[in-house]
Amino acid sequence: MIRNFLLIYGMAVLGMVSAAEYRGWSLNSVDEVKNVPRSVRDNPGSYRSVYGYYHHYTGGK
Amino acid sequence: MMESGPTPIATPQVKSLNCPSCGARLTIRSFEHAVTVVCNSCHSILDAQDPRLRVLQQFNVEINEDPPLIPLGTRGKIRSTQYEVIGFQRRTIHVDGIPYSWHEYLLFNPFKGFRYLTEYNGHWNDVSILRSLPTVNAAGFPPTLSYLGQTYAQFQNAKAETSFVLGEFPWQVRVGESSTVTDYVSPPRMISKEESGKEVTWSVGEYVAGRDIWKAFNVSGDPPTPVGVYENQPSPLSTDVTTVWTIAGGFLLLLIMLAIAFYALSQSEQVFTHSYTFDTNSHGEASFVSDEFELKGRTSNVELTTNAHVDNNWIYLNYALINEDTSQAFDFGREVSYYHGYDEDGFWSEGKQEDSVTVPSVPPGHYYLRVEPESDFFRGKIYYSVTLTRDVPQISFFGLGALALLVPAGFITWRSMNFEHLRWAESDYAPADSGSSNDGEDS
Repeated sequence: MIRNFLLIYGMAVLGMVSAAEYRGWSLNSVDEVKNVPRSVRDNPGSYRSVYGYYHHYTGGK
Repeated sequence: MMESGPTPIATPQVKSLNCPSCGARLTIRSFEHAVTVVCNSCHSILDAQDPRLRVLQQFNVEINEDPPLIPLGTRGKIRSTQYEVIGFQRRTIHVDGIPYSWHEYLLFNPFKGFRYLTEYNGHWNDVSILRSLPTVNAAGFPPTLSYLGQTYAQFQNAKAETSFVLGEFPWQVRVGESSTVTDYVSPPRMISKEESGKEVTWSVGEYVAGRDIWKAFNVSGDPPTPVGVYENQPSPLSTDVTTVWTIAGGFLLLLIMLAIAFYALSQSEQVFTHSYTFDTNSHGEASFVSDEFELKGRTSNVELTTNAHVDNNWIYLNYALINEDTSQAFDFGREVSYYHGYDEDGFWSEGKQEDSVTVPSVPPGHYYLRVEPESDFFRGKIYYSVTLTRDVPQISFFGLGALALLVPAGFITWRSMNFEHLRWAESDYAPADSGSSNDGEDS
């Protein structure tokens, strides 16, 4: 019972890892934006990044 | 005149007598084997070998009545042999002043003799007398014994007192008689040594599920639910621990081979690289777009690496990887910062000058990069480079896969160890953190 479960589970894990590698999945968070205006190519400032206006904390020790 | 031919096999019969104390009818099922018989009505213990059934002992049962779960006279098959329940006794040990009792059912077959069923808190054992002596090694901790090539560890040593009897017995049974019992375990078996005066009896028991006893003796209802972990109760997971680690090890090996294959076959193709300068003194539009580049092949990840010459400084880059064919963009921001210095603890540093991010599942097509750098004003020029590489193997997934494979193995091992911990917590050799003391002999 446990043996069969582990065999199926192990194959599922290997399958998931293979799929993740083959399909190029990533653990990083990236936003997908649809329909970016073609004018961005000529006027980069017209694009408003999701991550724009970053407020940086200058840490240091 | 004697008849010739084979002797017919005797069928089990019962002998009926009357109690000399109360006149109740007595049934003797083990014939000449019965040494004492207990009246079911007045609980007088009678000498079964005396034709007048001399009363040997009477005990007060008003507060001690303990009816057997398997009634006397019930027949059932154990190891393909039919036995009849002929006697029942309750035995009690005291640990720290607390009484713990178990029940023993005496079984009889006219051809096979006697064997026992014991029950404690719903845990059952099929017990028979040992025919040869085991070898005891008293030097160990816990002491052990060897029997038929198997090693048993001492579990408990206690003085057991007979506190209730019913039926018939092939020995001079008395309520209040005591013997020293030492149990050695090797689940699912246990070996018990009983010392009473100069007499020493060894017996071997094997753990049996209550439902199997109920089925064998055709007892109505359900057996009592087992409470806790019994000393020779087989762990439901002990055999699985080896199996689960064997399987996990096999899959880990496959995972390593898979990682080697992906690292060998992945293209790790550099599709774009460029160096830029960000002038923090300039107030103009900082954003710009790169030249177009092509991502070929199948959908794959794209790793973007930023290398910035920041020294006690930072740069933040808003990135948009834009597909010129579909107008779809992957939008993300990355910071590169590096600070260092000296204080009373010596040299310190935070951050680094390089940063990598993996953009997942980027379809093939023609792309360009929009970059918008930010930093503190008037910090001079910051030089940085951007490199894009597609189809890069991700070690993190192999790490997660290994973790996922180890979780069930670890969980089952933990459950198994916990089971053994619970078992030994009740022994004289309890682990230090179980709350039980190493009592040695209890009384």
